[in-house]
Amino acid sequence: MLSWLRKTRNRQALADDSGELFDENFQRRLESLVIASRRAYRGRARAERRSKKSGSGIEFADHRVYTPGDDFRYLDWNVYRRTGRLLVRLFEEEEDLSVYILLDTSQSMGSDNARKLNYAKRVAAALAYVALAHLDRVSILTFSDRMQHRLPPTRGKNRVFKVFDFLRPIDSSGPTDLAASLKTFAAQNKRRGVAILISDLYDPAGFDAGINTLRYARFEPCVIQTFDADAARPDLHGDAMLVDTETGEERMVTVTPQLLDRYERAHVAYRHEIGRFCAEKQVSYFDMPIHVPVEDAVLSLLRRGAFLI
Amino acid sequence: MELTGLGATQLLTVLGIASAIAVVLYLLRLRRRRVFVPFVRLWDTVLSEQKSTRLFSKLKRWLSLLVALCIIALLSFALGDPRFAGAHQDGRTMVVLMDTSASMQATDVAPSRLHAAIKQVQRLIRRLGPADRMLIARFDAAATPLSPLTGDVAVLERALRGLNASDVPANLAGGVHLALNVLSETSRPEIVIASDGQLQHAHSVRERIKRSKVRVSWIRVGSKSENLGITSFGVRRYPLDKSQVEALIEIWNPTAKERSVEITLFGDGKPIDVQTLQVRPGERLRRFFGDLSGIDRTLEARLRAADRGNDHLAVDNRAYATLSQRRRARVLAVTEGNLYLQAALLLDEYLDVEEIAPADYPNLEKQDGLKRFDVVLFDNWVPRSAPSRPALYLNPSPSSKSDASAFRLFSVRGETVDPYFAKLKSKHPILRWTALRDVNIARAHQVVPEPGDDVIGGDQGTPLIVSGERDSQPMVAFTFDIRQSDLPLRVAWPLLLLNTIDFFVEDSSDDRSSLRTGETWRIPVSAEATRAKLVPPRGDSRFVPVQRGHAVHVGTQTGIYSLRTKRDHAVFAANLGDSAESDIRPVETLRVDGMRAGAVSSGRPGLRKEIWLYLVFAALCILIVEWFTYHRRHTV
Repeated sequence: MLSWLRKTRNRQALADDSGELFDENFQRRLESLVIASRRAYRGRARAERRSKKSGSGIEFADHRVYTPGDDFRYLDWNVYRRTGRLLVRLFEEEEDLSVYILLDTSQSMGSDNARKLNYAKRVAAALAYVALAHLDRVSILTFSDRMQHRLPPTRGKNRVFKVFDFLRPIDSSGPTDLAASLKTFAAQNKRRGVAILISDLYDPAGFDAGINTLRYARFEPCVIQTFDADAARPDLHGDAMLVDTETGEERMVTVTPQLLDRYERAHVAYRHEIGRFCAEKQVSYFDMPIHVPVEDAVLSLLRRGAFLI
Repeated sequence: MELTGLGATQLLTVLGIASAIAVVLYLLRLRRRRVFVPFVRLWDTVLSEQKSTRLFSKLKRWLSLLVALCIIALLSFALGDPRFAGAHQDGRTMVVLMDTSASMQATDVAPSRLHAAIKQVQRLIRRLGPADRMLIARFDAAATPLSPLTGDVAVLERALRGLNASDVPANLAGGVHLALNVLSETSRPEIVIASDGQLQHAHSVRERIKRSKVRVSWIRVGSKSENLGITSFGVRRYPLDKSQVEALIEIWNPTAKERSVEITLFGDGKPIDVQTLQVRPGERLRRFFGDLSGIDRTLEARLRAADRGNDHLAVDNRAYATLSQRRRARVLAVTEGNLYLQAALLLDEYLDVEEIAPADYPNLEKQDGLKRFDVVLFDNWVPRSAPSRPALYLNPSPSSKSDASAFRLFSVRGETVDPYFAKLKSKHPILRWTALRDVNIARAHQVVPEPGDDVIGGDQGTPLIVSGERDSQPMVAFTFDIRQSDLPLRVAWPLLLLNTIDFFVEDSSDDRSSLRTGETWRIPVSAEATRAKLVPPRGDSRFVPVQRGHAVHVGTQTGIYSLRTKRDHAVFAANLGDSAESDIRPVETLRVDGMRAGAVSSGRPGLRKEIWLYLVFAALCILIVEWFTYHRRHTV
């Protein structure tokens, strides 16, 4: 009963959030994010702060927690000896940074009252605001089985409203085809930079081809997988016909608690598989359950290095 | 197996419809609901493990349908109320007649014979076979069913609760007739009489019992016979001195020992006399209590054993009587002078007599002076028209001095010489306590009785005393001159005269000092009343119906009753007055119209015969198992 109440309350909170995506409260919280993201970098144009890129700079800037896939050469062995913690040294590098935010707007993102898509929009807006606040060049692109909408590269904190206006009307439609979409993206954008992929990665063809496309095109991919914890253990029982929202494929199931347990484990395994792949390919990967508040998720993301590597 | 509820066709219809609905619902259930999921391929890994159990799942679905159809079949079959085929043919059909008469109050079996009978009947109920049916009825003066004809133990036991014995004699005939009506055309019919055997024999039932092939059984109660009882109690005012009364009491000792009893008389609730009497074995001792004075309304006799012997029946130890209300009667005597008449009227101090000559009567009648009188006596004279009051005509003859036109009230054919009372209606209230058969009469008029007239006494063809109505007023006529007979020289004359006046003034019901329980009482009340409030000796008062000026009630209690309407208030007494009930000696053999009652037949104990209960229970069990396995996810 308690869990049911909790679920209901969470859903209600999320439903309330979907009323106005980018209200004043959200904007205030974005401001605090900017203050919290104390990273400075310098680009081709004059930036207010400097960004960091490990391995290529000469001036030590900071440490961050080691994540699988980091270059062993940047491990700070002195700190490890003193504290027993594995930290990677970060060096300042002067650079002009282009940030591409690739937002998945396929049908699967819009399921369950578009909760996942709304959450992804907010994450995209937050990241865009942080980047704009640091005078980075920000571009937002949406895709499903092909590239859909595009916000041209823009810069400056005051352009954030343009970002909001771009994101607000975007709706979910179409199936997911990461490889095809990102191939188009790579071909259309010659200026390399950070490519932040926000998606549930529910691609029947697999997630790896799309990410590899970004890697091969020399973008610095950062994968953010949004998922609904409730969808990981749906409220189902008895006989049902499962229909894929994107492909229309059907599966007959008789749902039992044991089956739900197995499905939950399969869901976790799928996320771990993505994480493992990204680690192997030195791609930053973050999984974001949508019940975590956006600003907390983004702040955590920034503190873990995120795309500001 | 046979169906006693819905018929086979109806059951098949119900079963078919319900099964069809279940199958349709099942098919609808097979059409799975569609649930949209964001990425169905994630389910594939999970479902691949489930494929191996798909065959079992299909089997479970069929099993689920089968369970539903089973439940429907069980419930449908229950609607038919199936019984085993032999249930009705082989079962006994019993009518238990519980004797609730007065003798069942005897305490020789603690706490009473009735309770002992109830216990035995309860044992009989618990031994009923699965196909047996029983009806319980009580009988005393009348028979009353207490339960329906059923095999339900709870219903039968409930019928026995609160059963009490009444103060009335038993009339077995009523109970047997009730039982025979119930048992007509039933299987193995049996009448079980739970009684001490002190019953009025049921006549004219032998043929019916034989024809119906009904078995008559007897549950015997009672062990001792020690009892003393008042079997008769009467009281009356002296006819010539109504201030004093005399009482007659009869005491019966049905035991084999001589007993000493103490009799106490209570007048209006106060003790007025106590006597100790010796009563021999089997003796009915009658004792007069004369010259009792100071009693206005009620008299009660109480009996108590004065020796160390027991007296197991209390209801016959008390007897009650009421006295008629003394009332002063105003009498108008229209006479030229009759010494015998005047002397007789002087004997009753409660008579206010006024005497006038026949010549003064017309004036008095004109002045409406008759309203002051209760009775008018015409001696050797007949008025032109009947008075507006009850009248006694002495010698209404044409030779009297009245003119001939007066004889429209009576028609006289001639005269009879030396008539005598050959025919007498001795129970008529006018003739109480009189002996007239040897009265010598010189001559009498041959009065022709009018329609509605009643000849109370007379010779062949010559009425001597006629009672009837003239102009809607009661009248009595003596068709002879008392001075030409030896009647005035006899004690019967003043009694006859005073009885006639009492007949006019008082109601006949007052003649009875007590009523008998178990009979239908008709108590006179004012004609306008539609109902009367009866206050019995014990228990709450109740309203009883009034029919033709009489309150009607069947009394079941001994004691003093009070009956009240808007205008009247009557008090009367009721006694058991039946020596058969006082005789509580145990009876060895009970005979019903000469037929010997045997022992109760034995039944076959078994389970309840209502199968539908088990069917519903089975359906419930299947539902519980289904529910349990559903929630444990064994069947989904």
